[in-house]
Amino acid sequence: MPRILVAGQVPLIPPEGEILFEAKGYQLIFVSDPHVAVNTLLEDPPDFLITELGFGSSDLQLINTVKACLQKANMPILLVLPADVMPTMDWHRFQVDDVVVRPYTPEVLLARVQLAESRMVRVFDNNPLSRLPGNTSILRAIQRTLESGVAYGVCYLDIDNFKPYNDRYGFSQGDDVILMVARIAVNVVEELAREDSFIGHVGGDDFVVIVPEAKIVPVCEKILANFEVVKNMFLSREDIDAGVYRAKDRQGRDTTYGLLSLSIAVVPVEHNKFKHYGEVSAAASQVKHLVKEREGSNYMIDRRDSYQPNEAG
Amino acid sequence: MQEDKRQKIRQALREVKNLPTLPGIVIKLTKMAEDPETTTEQMGKLISKDHILAAKLLKLVNSSFYGFPQRISSLSSAIILLGFNVIKSLIISASIFEFMEDNDIELWEHSLGCAVVCSVLAKRLGVSDPDEVSTAGLIHDIGKVAIKLELGPEYRKIHEMVVGQEFSMLEAEMQTLEVNHAEVGGWLTKTWNLPSKLVEPIAMHHNPGAAKNEKMAAAIVHFADIMIRGMGYGHGDDIWVPPLDNNAWRLLGLAPQDLDEILAQVEEKLWEVKGFSLDIKSGFEA
Repeated sequence: MPRILVAGQVPLIPPEGEILFEAKGYQLIFVSDPHVAVNTLLEDPPDFLITELGFGSSDLQLINTVKACLQKANMPILLVLPADVMPTMDWHRFQVDDVVVRPYTPEVLLARVQLAESRMVRVFDNNPLSRLPGNTSILRAIQRTLESGVAYGVCYLDIDNFKPYNDRYGFSQGDDVILMVARIAVNVVEELAREDSFIGHVGGDDFVVIVPEAKIVPVCEKILANFEVVKNMFLSREDIDAGVYRAKDRQGRDTTYGLLSLSIAVVPVEHNKFKHYGEVSAAASQVKHLVKEREGSNYMIDRRDSYQPNEAG
Repeated sequence: MQEDKRQKIRQALREVKNLPTLPGIVIKLTKMAEDPETTTEQMGKLISKDHILAAKLLKLVNSSFYGFPQRISSLSSAIILLGFNVIKSLIISASIFEFMEDNDIELWEHSLGCAVVCSVLAKRLGVSDPDEVSTAGLIHDIGKVAIKLELGPEYRKIHEMVVGQEFSMLEAEMQTLEVNHAEVGGWLTKTWNLPSKLVEPIAMHHNPGAAKNEKMAAAIVHFADIMIRGMGYGHGDDIWVPPLDNNAWRLLGLAPQDLDEILAQVEEKLWEVKGFSLDIKSGFEA
Protein backbone atom coordinates (compact mmCIF):
# COMPACT_ATOMS: atom_id res chain seq x y z
CA MET A 1 0.00 0.00 0.00
CA PRO A 2 1.66 3.26 -1.10
CA ARG A 3 2.21 5.65 1.77
CA ILE A 4 1.89 9.37 1.26
CA LEU A 5 3.48 11.80 3.68
CA VAL A 6 1.26 14.89 3.83
CA ALA A 7 3.44 17.57 5.43
CA GLY A 8 1.84 20.98 6.01
CA GLN A 9 0.97 23.39 8.76
CA VAL A 10 -2.66 22.74 7.96
CA PRO A 11 -3.87 19.43 6.54
CA LEU A 12 -3.30 19.62 2.78
CA ILE A 13 -6.01 17.05 2.24
CA PRO A 14 -9.31 17.95 3.90
CA PRO A 15 -10.94 15.23 6.05
CA GLU A 16 -13.64 14.63 3.42
CA GLY A 17 -10.91 14.00 0.81
CA GLU A 18 -9.12 11.35 2.84
CA ILE A 19 -11.63 8.69 1.92
CA LEU A 20 -10.89 9.29 -1.75
CA PHE A 21 -7.22 8.46 -1.28
CA GLU A 22 -7.93 5.52 0.97
CA ALA A 23 -10.33 4.10 -1.56
CA LYS A 24 -7.46 4.04 -4.06
CA GLY A 25 -5.29 2.17 -1.61
CA TYR A 26 -3.14 5.03 -0.34
CA GLN A 27 -2.21 5.36 3.27
CA LEU A 28 -2.03 9.00 4.41
CA ILE A 29 0.42 10.15 7.07
CA PHE A 30 -0.33 13.67 8.25
CA VAL A 31 2.50 15.66 9.84
CA SER A 32 2.34 19.30 10.89
CA ASP A 33 5.73 19.53 12.58
CA PRO A 34 8.63 20.04 10.10
CA HIS A 35 11.07 18.09 12.28
CA VAL A 36 8.80 15.15 12.51
CA ALA A 37 8.40 15.35 8.76
CA VAL A 38 12.14 15.25 8.10
CA ASN A 39 12.50 12.45 10.55
CA THR A 40 9.81 10.44 8.89
CA LEU A 41 11.52 10.94 5.53
CA LEU A 42 14.77 9.65 6.94
CA GLU A 43 13.71 6.80 9.11
CA ASP A 44 10.48 5.59 7.63
CA PRO A 45 10.44 6.92 4.07
CA PRO A 46 7.04 7.11 2.44
CA ASP A 47 6.42 6.46 -1.26
CA PHE A 48 5.23 9.97 -1.97
CA LEU A 49 5.51 13.45 -0.47
CA ILE A 50 2.91 16.21 -0.56
CA THR A 51 4.10 19.46 1.05
CA GLU A 52 3.52 23.18 0.82
CA LEU A 53 5.72 26.15 0.15
CA GLY A 54 6.91 27.77 3.38
CA PHE A 55 6.75 24.58 5.44
CA GLY A 56 9.83 24.04 7.59
CA SER A 57 12.73 26.22 8.55
CA SER A 58 13.66 26.76 4.96
CA ASP A 59 11.63 26.28 1.85
CA LEU A 60 13.94 23.59 0.57
CA GLN A 61 14.42 21.58 3.72
CA LEU A 62 12.02 18.76 3.00
CA ILE A 63 12.67 18.71 -0.71
CA ASN A 64 16.41 18.40 -0.22
CA THR A 65 15.97 15.66 2.31
CA VAL A 66 14.36 13.63 -0.39
CA LYS A 67 16.36 14.59 -3.44
CA ALA A 68 19.79 14.53 -1.83
CA CYS A 69 19.47 10.84 -1.16
CA LEU A 70 19.93 8.61 -4.18
CA GLN A 71 17.68 5.90 -2.82
CA LYS A 72 14.87 8.35 -2.37
CA ALA A 73 15.44 10.36 -5.52
CA ASN A 74 12.58 8.55 -7.18
CA MET A 75 10.08 9.57 -4.51
CA PRO A 76 7.70 11.99 -6.24
CA ILE A 77 7.11 15.36 -4.56
CA LEU A 78 3.99 17.43 -5.01
CA LEU A 79 4.24 21.06 -3.95
CA VAL A 80 1.20 23.12 -2.94
CA LEU A 81 1.65 26.86 -3.41
CA PRO A 82 -0.23 30.07 -4.15
CA ALA A 83 -0.55 31.06 -7.79
CA ASP A 84 1.08 34.49 -7.43
CA VAL A 85 4.54 33.17 -6.49
CA MET A 86 4.68 30.77 -9.45
CA PRO A 87 6.44 33.12 -11.87
CA THR A 88 9.24 33.77 -9.36
CA MET A 89 9.99 30.11 -8.66
CA ASP A 90 13.33 28.65 -9.64
CA TRP A 91 12.40 25.07 -10.56
CA HIS A 92 16.01 23.99 -10.80
CA ARG A 93 16.34 24.61 -7.11
CA PHE A 94 12.91 23.29 -6.25
CA GLN A 95 13.22 19.81 -7.59
CA VAL A 96 9.61 18.85 -7.26
CA ASP A 97 7.67 16.71 -9.70
CA ASP A 98 4.47 18.68 -9.89
CA VAL A 99 2.67 21.66 -8.36
CA VAL A 100 -0.89 22.27 -7.25
CA VAL A 101 -2.31 25.75 -6.80
CA ARG A 102 -4.74 26.70 -4.06
CA PRO A 103 -7.65 26.32 -4.04
CA TYR A 104 -7.84 22.74 -5.28
CA THR A 105 -10.16 19.80 -4.87
CA PRO A 106 -9.02 16.48 -3.42
CA GLU A 107 -9.93 14.88 -6.76
CA VAL A 108 -7.33 16.97 -8.58
CA LEU A 109 -4.74 16.21 -5.93
CA LEU A 110 -5.40 12.49 -6.26
CA ALA A 111 -5.05 12.61 -10.02
CA ARG A 112 -1.76 14.48 -9.74
CA VAL A 113 -0.45 11.94 -7.27
CA GLN A 114 -1.34 9.05 -9.54
CA LEU A 115 0.15 10.72 -12.59
CA ALA A 116 3.38 11.55 -10.81
CA GLU A 117 3.63 7.97 -9.64
CA SER A 118 3.17 6.38 -13.03
CA ARG A 119 5.57 8.88 -14.57
CA MET A 120 8.18 8.05 -11.98
CA VAL A 121 7.90 4.33 -12.63
CA ARG A 122 8.34 4.95 -16.35
CA VAL A 123 11.28 7.28 -16.07
CA PHE A 124 13.28 5.51 -13.41
CA ASP A 125 12.70 1.94 -14.14
CA ASN A 126 12.49 1.67 -17.89
CA ASN A 127 15.29 0.00 -19.74
CA PRO A 128 17.11 2.68 -21.72
CA LEU A 129 17.45 0.44 -24.77
CA SER A 130 14.03 -1.17 -25.08
CA ARG A 131 12.08 1.31 -22.92
CA LEU A 132 10.36 -1.63 -21.34
CA PRO A 133 9.75 -1.68 -17.58
CA GLY A 134 12.82 -2.77 -15.60
CA ASN A 135 13.49 -4.80 -12.49
CA THR A 136 11.44 -2.86 -9.97
CA SER A 137 8.36 -3.15 -12.14
CA ILE A 138 9.09 -6.80 -12.90
CA LEU A 139 9.33 -7.72 -9.24
CA ARG A 140 6.11 -5.86 -8.54
CA ALA A 141 4.36 -7.54 -11.46
CA ILE A 142 5.44 -11.01 -10.31
CA GLN A 143 4.40 -10.28 -6.74
CA ARG A 144 1.02 -8.98 -7.97
CA THR A 145 0.61 -12.15 -9.98
CA LEU A 146 1.34 -14.31 -6.94
CA GLU A 147 -1.18 -12.42 -4.84
CA SER A 148 -3.90 -12.47 -7.48
CA GLY A 149 -4.79 -16.14 -6.98
CA VAL A 150 -5.21 -16.44 -10.74
CA ALA A 151 -3.12 -18.83 -12.84
CA TYR A 152 -0.42 -17.11 -14.88
CA GLY A 153 2.75 -18.14 -16.63
CA VAL A 154 5.90 -16.22 -15.81
CA CYS A 155 8.10 -16.63 -18.87
CA TYR A 156 11.83 -15.89 -18.78
CA LEU A 157 13.26 -15.19 -22.24
CA ASP A 158 16.88 -15.07 -23.12
CA ILE A 159 19.07 -15.30 -26.18
CA ASP A 160 21.30 -18.38 -26.37
CA ASN A 161 25.05 -17.87 -26.64
CA PHE A 162 24.65 -14.15 -26.66
CA LYS A 163 28.19 -13.44 -25.53
CA PRO A 164 29.87 -15.16 -28.48
CA TYR A 165 27.37 -13.42 -30.77
CA ASN A 166 28.43 -10.05 -29.34
CA ASP A 167 32.09 -10.98 -29.74
CA ARG A 168 31.55 -11.88 -33.36
CA TYR A 169 29.19 -9.16 -34.51
CA GLY A 170 29.94 -6.37 -32.06
CA PHE A 171 27.96 -4.85 -29.19
CA SER A 172 26.04 -2.47 -31.34
CA GLN A 173 24.55 -5.27 -33.41
CA GLY A 174 24.02 -7.23 -30.21
CA ASP A 175 21.85 -4.36 -29.02
CA ASP A 176 19.88 -4.55 -32.26
CA VAL A 177 19.13 -8.20 -31.59
CA ILE A 178 17.97 -7.36 -28.07
CA LEU A 179 15.74 -4.65 -29.49
CA MET A 180 14.34 -7.09 -32.02
CA VAL A 181 13.47 -9.62 -29.30
CA ALA A 182 11.77 -6.85 -27.32
CA ARG A 183 9.72 -5.82 -30.34
CA ILE A 184 8.72 -9.38 -31.15
CA ALA A 185 7.66 -10.11 -27.57
CA VAL A 186 5.68 -6.88 -27.24
CA ASN A 187 3.92 -7.40 -30.56
CA VAL A 188 3.05 -11.03 -29.89
CA VAL A 189 1.68 -10.31 -26.42
CA GLU A 190 -0.20 -7.31 -27.77
CA GLU A 191 -1.82 -9.51 -30.38
CA LEU A 192 -2.49 -12.73 -28.47
CA ALA A 193 -2.78 -11.75 -24.82
CA ARG A 194 -3.41 -8.04 -24.54
CA GLU A 195 -5.39 -8.31 -21.29
CA ASP A 196 -3.66 -9.06 -18.02
CA SER A 197 -0.18 -9.36 -19.43
CA PHE A 198 3.14 -7.81 -18.65
CA ILE A 199 6.52 -7.50 -20.34
CA GLY A 200 9.68 -6.34 -18.64
CA HIS A 201 13.34 -6.12 -19.56
CA VAL A 202 15.56 -7.46 -16.79
CA GLY A 203 18.64 -6.19 -18.59
CA GLY A 204 21.02 -7.47 -21.22
CA ASP A 205 19.35 -10.20 -23.22
CA ASP A 206 16.90 -11.20 -20.45
CA PHE A 207 13.19 -10.50 -20.58
CA VAL A 208 10.20 -11.47 -18.47
CA VAL A 209 6.77 -11.96 -19.99
CA ILE A 210 3.76 -12.68 -17.79
CA VAL A 211 0.62 -14.00 -19.48
CA PRO A 212 -2.58 -15.76 -18.32
CA GLU A 213 -2.02 -19.50 -18.19
CA ALA A 214 -4.18 -20.26 -21.21
CA LYS A 215 -1.95 -18.05 -23.35
CA ILE A 216 1.41 -19.57 -22.37
CA VAL A 217 1.70 -21.99 -25.28
CA PRO A 218 0.42 -19.72 -28.08
CA VAL A 219 2.54 -16.79 -26.91
CA CYS A 220 5.74 -18.84 -26.56
CA GLU A 221 5.26 -20.56 -29.90
CA LYS A 222 4.55 -17.33 -31.72
CA ILE A 223 7.51 -15.52 -30.18
CA LEU A 224 9.85 -18.33 -31.20
CA ALA A 225 8.35 -18.62 -34.70
CA ASN A 226 8.66 -14.88 -35.30
CA PHE A 227 12.19 -14.86 -33.98
CA GLU A 228 13.11 -17.56 -36.50
CA VAL A 229 11.65 -15.46 -39.33
CA VAL A 230 13.50 -12.31 -38.40
CA LYS A 231 16.82 -13.55 -37.04
CA ASN A 232 18.62 -14.01 -40.36
CA MET A 233 18.63 -10.25 -40.71
CA PHE A 234 21.23 -10.22 -37.96
CA LEU A 235 23.48 -12.95 -39.31
CA SER A 236 25.99 -12.86 -42.11
CA ARG A 237 25.32 -14.87 -45.24
CA GLU A 238 28.48 -16.83 -44.52
CA ASP A 239 27.27 -17.89 -41.06
CA ILE A 240 23.77 -18.70 -42.29
CA ASP A 241 25.21 -20.97 -44.96
CA ALA A 242 27.52 -22.70 -42.50
CA GLY A 243 24.71 -23.03 -39.94
CA VAL A 244 27.19 -22.52 -37.10
CA TYR A 245 30.16 -20.37 -36.30
CA ARG A 246 33.36 -20.99 -34.44
CA ALA A 247 34.51 -18.71 -31.67
CA LYS A 248 36.49 -18.86 -28.46
CA ASP A 249 34.55 -19.70 -25.32
CA ARG A 250 35.08 -18.07 -21.94
CA GLN A 251 38.13 -20.22 -21.35
CA GLY A 252 39.60 -19.26 -24.70
CA ARG A 253 38.99 -22.61 -26.34
CA ASP A 254 37.74 -22.92 -29.89
CA THR A 255 34.06 -23.79 -29.73
CA THR A 256 31.28 -24.21 -32.27
CA TYR A 257 28.18 -22.17 -31.59
CA GLY A 258 24.74 -22.48 -33.12
CA LEU A 259 23.29 -19.42 -34.81
CA LEU A 260 21.00 -17.09 -32.89
CA SER A 261 18.31 -18.87 -30.93
CA LEU A 262 15.94 -18.01 -28.12
CA SER A 263 15.06 -19.97 -24.98
CA ILE A 264 11.97 -19.47 -22.84
CA ALA A 265 11.65 -20.97 -19.37
CA VAL A 266 8.06 -20.84 -18.12
CA VAL A 267 7.02 -21.09 -14.49
CA PRO A 268 3.26 -21.44 -14.07
CA VAL A 269 2.12 -19.78 -10.85
CA GLU A 270 -1.18 -20.93 -9.40
CA HIS A 271 -2.81 -22.29 -6.26
CA ASN A 272 -0.41 -20.52 -3.92
CA LYS A 273 2.48 -22.56 -5.27
CA PHE A 274 4.84 -19.68 -4.53
CA LYS A 275 4.82 -17.04 -1.86
CA HIS A 276 7.61 -14.82 -3.00
CA TYR A 277 9.03 -13.74 -6.34
CA GLY A 278 12.43 -15.12 -5.34
CA GLU A 279 10.97 -18.60 -5.41
CA VAL A 280 9.66 -18.02 -8.92
CA SER A 281 13.01 -16.93 -10.26
CA ALA A 282 14.74 -19.85 -8.53
CA ALA A 283 12.34 -22.28 -10.20
CA ALA A 284 12.87 -20.45 -13.49
CA SER A 285 16.63 -20.79 -13.38
CA GLN A 286 16.27 -24.56 -13.01
CA VAL A 287 13.96 -24.76 -16.02
CA LYS A 288 16.23 -22.45 -17.95
CA HIS A 289 19.08 -24.82 -17.40
CA LEU A 290 17.07 -27.65 -18.97
CA VAL A 291 15.73 -25.69 -21.92
CA LYS A 292 19.20 -24.41 -22.74
CA GLU A 293 20.48 -27.93 -23.14
CA ARG A 294 18.32 -28.30 -26.22
CA GLU A 295 19.57 -27.08 -29.53
CA GLY A 296 17.92 -24.12 -31.24
CA SER A 297 14.95 -22.08 -30.09
CA ASN A 298 12.77 -23.77 -27.47
CA TYR A 299 10.41 -23.18 -24.62
CA MET A 300 9.81 -25.36 -21.61
CA ILE A 301 7.07 -25.20 -19.03
CA ASP A 302 7.81 -26.23 -15.46
CA ARG A 303 5.26 -28.98 -14.82
CA ARG A 304 6.41 -29.95 -11.35
CA ASP A 305 3.39 -30.18 -9.04
CA SER A 306 5.03 -28.78 -6.00
CA TYR A 307 8.03 -26.66 -5.66
CA GLN A 308 11.09 -27.88 -3.82
CA PRO A 309 13.77 -25.28 -3.48
CA ASN A 310 16.60 -27.82 -3.58
CA GLU A 311 15.47 -29.80 -6.57
CA ALA A 312 18.26 -29.79 -9.05
CA GLY A 313 17.58 -28.73 -12.63
CA MET B 1 20.55 21.56 -68.94
CA GLN B 2 19.57 17.95 -68.60
CA GLU B 3 20.84 17.76 -65.05
CA ASP B 4 18.74 20.79 -64.24
CA LYS B 5 15.53 19.16 -65.29
CA ARG B 6 16.36 15.97 -63.46
CA GLN B 7 17.01 17.98 -60.31
CA LYS B 8 13.62 19.66 -60.62
CA ILE B 9 11.87 16.36 -61.02
CA ARG B 10 13.77 14.95 -58.12
CA GLN B 11 12.68 17.89 -56.03
CA ALA B 12 9.05 17.41 -57.01
CA LEU B 13 9.20 13.73 -56.15
CA ARG B 14 10.72 14.41 -52.78
CA GLU B 15 7.31 15.80 -51.85
CA VAL B 16 5.67 12.43 -52.44
CA LYS B 17 3.99 11.59 -49.18
CA ASN B 18 1.20 9.16 -49.59
CA LEU B 19 0.94 7.11 -52.75
CA PRO B 20 -2.65 6.08 -53.37
CA THR B 21 -3.75 2.49 -53.79
CA LEU B 22 -6.85 0.55 -54.81
CA PRO B 23 -9.94 1.10 -52.66
CA GLY B 24 -10.77 -2.62 -52.83
CA ILE B 25 -7.63 -3.56 -50.92
CA VAL B 26 -8.00 -0.84 -48.34
CA ILE B 27 -11.65 -1.77 -47.73
CA LYS B 28 -10.69 -5.40 -47.30
CA LEU B 29 -7.85 -4.56 -44.92
CA THR B 30 -9.99 -2.18 -42.89
CA LYS B 31 -12.54 -4.94 -42.40
CA MET B 32 -9.79 -7.31 -41.31
CA ALA B 33 -8.36 -4.80 -38.87
CA GLU B 34 -11.73 -4.47 -37.16
CA ASP B 35 -12.12 -8.23 -36.78
CA PRO B 36 -10.54 -9.41 -33.52
CA GLU B 37 -9.90 -12.84 -35.05
CA THR B 38 -7.57 -11.43 -37.69
CA THR B 39 -3.92 -12.27 -37.24
CA THR B 40 -1.03 -10.04 -38.16
CA GLU B 41 0.07 -12.66 -40.71
CA GLN B 42 -3.24 -12.54 -42.52
CA MET B 43 -2.96 -8.80 -42.89
CA GLY B 44 0.64 -9.14 -43.94
CA LYS B 45 -0.32 -11.59 -46.64
CA LEU B 46 -2.77 -9.13 -48.10
CA ILE B 47 -0.34 -6.22 -47.86
CA SER B 48 2.19 -8.31 -49.78
CA LYS B 49 -0.24 -8.35 -52.69
CA ASP B 50 -0.28 -4.59 -53.08
CA HIS B 51 2.75 -2.74 -54.43
CA ILE B 52 1.80 0.55 -52.78
CA LEU B 53 1.11 -0.79 -49.30
CA ALA B 54 4.16 -3.05 -49.46
CA ALA B 55 6.33 -0.03 -50.30
CA LYS B 56 4.69 1.95 -47.51
CA LEU B 57 5.36 -0.83 -45.04
CA LEU B 58 9.03 -1.02 -46.00
CA LYS B 59 9.36 2.74 -45.85
CA LEU B 60 7.91 2.71 -42.34
CA VAL B 61 10.04 -0.10 -40.95
CA ASN B 62 13.18 1.47 -42.42
CA SER B 63 12.43 4.96 -41.13
CA SER B 64 14.73 6.17 -38.38
CA PHE B 65 11.83 6.54 -35.97
CA TYR B 66 11.61 2.79 -35.50
CA GLY B 67 15.32 2.63 -34.92
CA PHE B 68 16.31 -0.54 -36.73
CA PRO B 69 19.83 0.09 -37.95
CA GLN B 70 19.53 -2.96 -40.16
CA ARG B 71 17.82 -2.16 -43.41
CA ILE B 72 14.83 -4.45 -43.72
CA SER B 73 13.85 -5.94 -47.06
CA SER B 74 11.49 -8.66 -45.92
CA LEU B 75 7.79 -7.87 -45.68
CA SER B 76 7.14 -10.63 -43.16
CA SER B 77 9.95 -9.40 -40.91
CA ALA B 78 8.62 -5.86 -41.20
CA ILE B 79 5.20 -7.02 -40.08
CA ILE B 80 6.57 -9.01 -37.15
CA LEU B 81 8.69 -6.10 -35.96
CA LEU B 82 6.08 -3.39 -36.36
CA GLY B 83 3.21 -5.37 -34.85
CA PHE B 84 -0.54 -5.40 -35.27
CA ASN B 85 -1.24 -1.90 -33.98
CA VAL B 86 1.25 -0.20 -36.24
CA ILE B 87 -0.02 -2.20 -39.22
CA LYS B 88 -3.52 -1.06 -38.32
CA SER B 89 -2.41 2.57 -38.27
CA LEU B 90 -0.69 2.02 -41.59
CA ILE B 91 -3.97 0.86 -43.09
CA ILE B 92 -5.87 3.79 -41.61
CA SER B 93 -3.28 6.14 -43.05
CA ALA B 94 -3.44 4.57 -46.53
CA SER B 95 -4.83 6.83 -49.17
CA ILE B 96 -6.85 5.63 -52.13
CA PHE B 97 -7.12 6.88 -55.69
CA GLU B 98 -9.47 9.82 -55.96
CA PHE B 99 -10.21 9.00 -59.55
CA MET B 100 -9.39 5.47 -60.29
CA GLU B 101 -8.68 4.48 -63.84
CA ASP B 102 -8.44 1.09 -65.46
CA ASN B 103 -4.73 1.69 -65.78
CA ASP B 104 -4.31 1.78 -62.02
CA ILE B 105 -5.80 -1.68 -61.75
CA GLU B 106 -3.71 -2.90 -64.67
CA LEU B 107 -0.52 -1.65 -63.04
CA TRP B 108 -1.47 -3.23 -59.73
CA GLU B 109 -2.09 -6.53 -61.47
CA HIS B 110 1.13 -6.24 -63.45
CA SER B 111 3.07 -5.61 -60.23
CA LEU B 112 1.54 -8.57 -58.46
CA GLY B 113 2.16 -10.75 -61.51
CA CYS B 114 5.75 -9.62 -61.71
CA ALA B 115 6.24 -10.56 -58.05
CA VAL B 116 4.87 -14.03 -58.78
CA VAL B 117 7.25 -14.56 -61.71
CA CYS B 118 10.18 -13.24 -59.64
CA SER B 119 9.38 -15.69 -56.89
CA VAL B 120 9.24 -18.65 -59.28
CA LEU B 121 12.45 -17.59 -61.04
CA ALA B 122 14.36 -16.81 -57.83
CA LYS B 123 13.51 -20.18 -56.33
CA ARG B 124 14.43 -22.00 -59.52
CA LEU B 125 17.74 -20.19 -59.80
CA GLY B 126 18.49 -20.85 -56.15
CA VAL B 127 19.11 -17.26 -55.08
CA SER B 128 19.67 -16.92 -51.35
CA ASP B 129 16.57 -14.86 -50.55
CA PRO B 130 13.75 -15.43 -53.07
CA ASP B 131 11.26 -13.34 -51.07
CA GLU B 132 13.51 -10.34 -51.40
CA VAL B 133 13.59 -10.60 -55.19
CA SER B 134 9.85 -11.10 -55.25
CA THR B 135 9.39 -7.93 -53.17
CA ALA B 136 11.62 -6.01 -55.57
CA GLY B 137 9.42 -7.32 -58.38
CA LEU B 138 6.29 -6.24 -56.55
CA ILE B 139 7.37 -2.62 -56.17
CA HIS B 140 9.49 -2.30 -59.33
CA ASP B 141 7.06 0.14 -60.99
CA ILE B 142 6.49 2.36 -57.94
CA GLY B 143 8.09 5.18 -59.92
CA LYS B 144 5.13 5.17 -62.30
CA VAL B 145 2.67 5.79 -59.50
CA ALA B 146 4.80 8.64 -58.17
CA ILE B 147 5.10 10.29 -61.59
CA LYS B 148 1.37 10.09 -62.10
CA LEU B 149 0.65 11.55 -58.68
CA GLU B 150 3.24 14.31 -58.51
CA LEU B 151 3.86 15.27 -62.13
CA GLY B 152 0.32 15.46 -63.46
CA PRO B 153 0.90 17.54 -66.61
CA GLU B 154 3.98 15.56 -67.60
CA TYR B 155 2.17 12.32 -66.92
CA ARG B 156 -0.70 13.34 -69.19
CA LYS B 157 1.76 14.20 -71.91
CA ILE B 158 3.48 10.81 -71.53
CA HIS B 159 0.12 9.08 -71.58
CA GLU B 160 -0.85 10.96 -74.73
CA MET B 161 2.39 9.93 -76.42
CA VAL B 162 1.89 6.30 -75.44
CA VAL B 163 -1.76 6.03 -76.45
CA GLY B 164 -1.87 8.48 -79.35
CA GLN B 165 1.53 8.09 -80.95
CA GLU B 166 2.39 4.54 -79.97
CA PHE B 167 5.51 5.47 -78.07
CA SER B 168 6.72 2.99 -75.51
CA MET B 169 6.40 4.18 -71.94
CA LEU B 170 10.17 4.36 -71.54
CA GLU B 171 10.65 6.48 -74.66
CA ALA B 172 7.79 8.81 -73.75
CA GLU B 173 9.21 9.26 -70.26
CA MET B 174 12.70 9.98 -71.52
CA GLN B 175 11.40 12.54 -73.99
CA THR B 176 9.19 14.27 -71.46
CA LEU B 177 11.08 13.93 -68.19
CA GLU B 178 14.59 12.95 -69.28
CA VAL B 179 14.38 10.25 -66.66
CA ASN B 180 12.41 7.01 -66.62
CA HIS B 181 10.17 5.47 -64.01
CA ALA B 182 12.79 2.89 -63.04
CA GLU B 183 15.24 5.60 -62.08
CA VAL B 184 12.47 7.46 -60.25
CA GLY B 185 11.61 4.28 -58.37
CA GLY B 186 15.27 3.95 -57.45
CA TRP B 187 15.40 7.52 -56.11
CA LEU B 188 12.25 7.03 -54.09
CA THR B 189 13.18 3.73 -52.51
CA LYS B 190 16.62 5.09 -51.72
CA THR B 191 15.15 8.15 -49.97
CA TRP B 192 12.94 5.79 -48.03
CA ASN B 193 16.03 4.02 -46.76
CA LEU B 194 15.15 0.71 -48.36
CA PRO B 195 18.10 -1.71 -48.62
CA SER B 196 20.11 -1.57 -51.81
CA LYS B 197 19.11 -5.17 -52.47
CA LEU B 198 15.71 -3.73 -53.33
CA VAL B 199 16.77 -0.32 -54.65
CA GLU B 200 19.14 -1.64 -57.31
CA PRO B 201 16.82 -4.12 -59.02
CA ILE B 202 14.06 -1.48 -59.01
CA ALA B 203 16.27 1.26 -60.43
CA MET B 204 17.85 -1.05 -63.01
CA HIS B 205 14.91 -3.12 -64.14
CA HIS B 206 15.18 -1.70 -67.64
CA ASN B 207 18.96 -1.74 -67.83
CA PRO B 208 20.00 -4.61 -65.57
CA GLY B 209 23.55 -4.44 -66.87
CA ALA B 210 24.08 -1.26 -64.85
CA ALA B 211 23.46 -3.07 -61.55
CA LYS B 212 26.59 -3.22 -59.41
CA ASN B 213 25.93 -5.54 -56.49
CA GLU B 214 22.57 -7.02 -57.31
CA LYS B 215 23.11 -8.19 -60.86
CA MET B 216 21.11 -11.38 -60.49
CA ALA B 217 18.16 -9.74 -58.76
CA ALA B 218 18.09 -6.98 -61.37
CA ALA B 219 18.18 -9.56 -64.16
CA ILE B 220 15.32 -11.52 -62.58
CA VAL B 221 13.09 -8.47 -62.14
CA HIS B 222 13.97 -7.35 -65.67
CA PHE B 223 12.97 -10.67 -67.17
CA ALA B 224 9.91 -11.13 -64.94
CA ASP B 225 8.63 -7.71 -66.03
CA ILE B 226 8.94 -8.78 -69.66
CA MET B 227 7.51 -12.23 -69.12
CA ILE B 228 4.40 -11.08 -67.27
CA ARG B 229 3.82 -8.46 -69.95
CA GLY B 230 4.09 -11.15 -72.56
CA MET B 231 1.55 -13.24 -70.69
CA GLY B 232 -0.87 -10.34 -70.81
CA TYR B 233 -1.50 -10.26 -67.07
CA GLY B 234 -1.99 -6.58 -66.32
CA HIS B 235 0.14 -3.96 -67.99
CA GLY B 236 2.13 -0.83 -67.26
CA ASP B 237 0.12 1.79 -69.12
CA ASP B 238 1.59 0.97 -72.50
CA ILE B 239 0.85 -2.40 -74.00
CA TRP B 240 4.31 -3.05 -75.46
CA VAL B 241 6.67 -5.63 -74.12
CA PRO B 242 9.98 -3.94 -73.24
CA PRO B 243 13.15 -5.19 -74.98
CA LEU B 244 15.10 -8.01 -73.40
CA ASP B 245 18.65 -7.30 -72.29
CA ASN B 246 20.93 -9.97 -73.72
CA ASN B 247 23.43 -9.98 -70.90
CA ALA B 248 20.69 -10.35 -68.33
CA TRP B 249 19.26 -13.23 -70.30
CA ARG B 250 22.67 -14.92 -70.37
CA LEU B 251 23.11 -14.33 -66.65
CA LEU B 252 19.84 -16.14 -65.95
CA GLY B 253 21.13 -19.07 -68.01
CA LEU B 254 17.66 -20.37 -68.87
CA ALA B 255 16.97 -22.80 -71.70
CA PRO B 256 13.74 -22.85 -73.73
CA GLN B 257 12.51 -25.98 -71.95
CA ASP B 258 13.07 -24.20 -68.63
CA LEU B 259 10.71 -21.52 -69.82
CA ASP B 260 7.95 -24.04 -70.44
CA GLU B 261 8.20 -25.26 -66.87
CA ILE B 262 8.42 -21.74 -65.49
CA LEU B 263 5.36 -20.71 -67.48
CA ALA B 264 3.38 -23.61 -66.09
CA GLN B 265 4.41 -22.76 -62.52
CA VAL B 266 3.62 -19.09 -62.96
CA GLU B 267 0.23 -19.84 -64.47
CA GLU B 268 -0.63 -22.10 -61.57
CA LYS B 269 0.31 -19.39 -59.08
CA LEU B 270 -1.50 -16.71 -61.02
CA TRP B 271 -4.58 -18.87 -60.89
CA GLU B 272 -4.40 -18.62 -57.10
CA VAL B 273 -4.31 -14.83 -57.14
CA LYS B 274 -6.89 -14.53 -59.91
CA GLY B 275 -9.85 -15.00 -57.59
CA PHE B 276 -8.40 -12.43 -55.27
CA SER B 277 -7.83 -10.07 -58.14
CA LEU B 278 -11.49 -10.33 -59.18
CA ASP B 279 -12.45 -9.69 -55.56
CA ILE B 280 -10.49 -6.49 -55.47
CA LYS B 281 -11.93 -5.28 -58.74
CA SER B 282 -15.50 -6.00 -57.69
CA GLY B 283 -14.80 -4.33 -54.35
CA PHE B 284 -13.89 -1.25 -56.30
CA GLU B 285 -17.02 -1.31 -58.40
CA ALA B 286 -19.31 -1.91 -55.44
